[in-house]
Amino acid sequence: MTHLIILDSEAVQALASPAHRKHRQALAYVQVIASRKQRAASIQAVVPTAVRVEAGWDRTSPTWALLNRLRITDSSLDSPAASTAAAIRSQAGVSVADAHIGAIIAAAVATRITVVTSDPADMQRMAGNKPVTIAAI
Amino acid sequence: MAERTAPERISALLDADESQTSNTSMRLPAALRDAAALAVSELGVAPSATALTAVALRSTLEAIVMQAALDQHYQEYPQARPDLGDLAIAAAQLDGHPLAAQPGLLRQAAIEITARHPAASPDDVLLWAEARAMPAA
Repeated sequence: MTHLIILDSEAVQALASPAHRKHRQALAYVQVIASRKQRAASIQAVVPTAVRVEAGWDRTSPTWALLNRLRITDSSLDSPAASTAAAIRSQAGVSVADAHIGAIIAAAVATRITVVTSDPADMQRMAGNKPVTIAAI
Repeated sequence: MAERTAPERISALLDADESQTSNTSMRLPAALRDAAALAVSELGVAPSATALTAVALRSTLEAIVMQAALDQHYQEYPQARPDLGDLAIAAAQLDGHPLAAQPGLLRQAAIEITARHPAASPDDVLLWAEARAMPAA
């Protein structure tokens, strides 16, 4: 069983800034992921690269040192993902970053998908018929 | 340029190209090796015992790197450290557990279980809260 955790822009920003009011909550998600990895559970946190752009997460900048060390993998907006995201964006009228999340959900083969998001309604809409768990931040 | 820490070096190695492999002289307990072989042949949990070992090792190393980053952050920002209640809520949200909608109940369960079992995990809290929420038979 594989569990894919997708972070949205707000989740990234909450994780990055100790001054953010949801910082502790965001860290709790990462702490749970780390504990499960310790037990060899198949679980992976990913950030869509379009979300990284929106949140300003530059992996080469020391400002983002903490996040760079939390083993959050980039999910790239490659050609197929861009096409899916473009279709989602024109259909649902969402941001590029949210459409990229939708494209990842559509392509995911994980047995469980969770999106950590500040916008549960949009994410549920993005998921369509695919079963997705929403963790509201 | 500052010298990289051990977790940073481990993290960089985890990101490195995996196509290069090497034979190791790592000694495994024979029973563990046989259990892994059985899990592969009978349960199909991985393509090979080597793959199963590599996945488990990667997961453990990722957890170590993540925990080192989190611990360093908690040292700098003690108020950012999630308590057991925070972790139980996060675990419930990530899993789509029905009690995720009752954070107060989970916080109370965390307080109760910590009094008896100081080393309780977020999953222990969920089980405890679930049992408490069940109507008496």
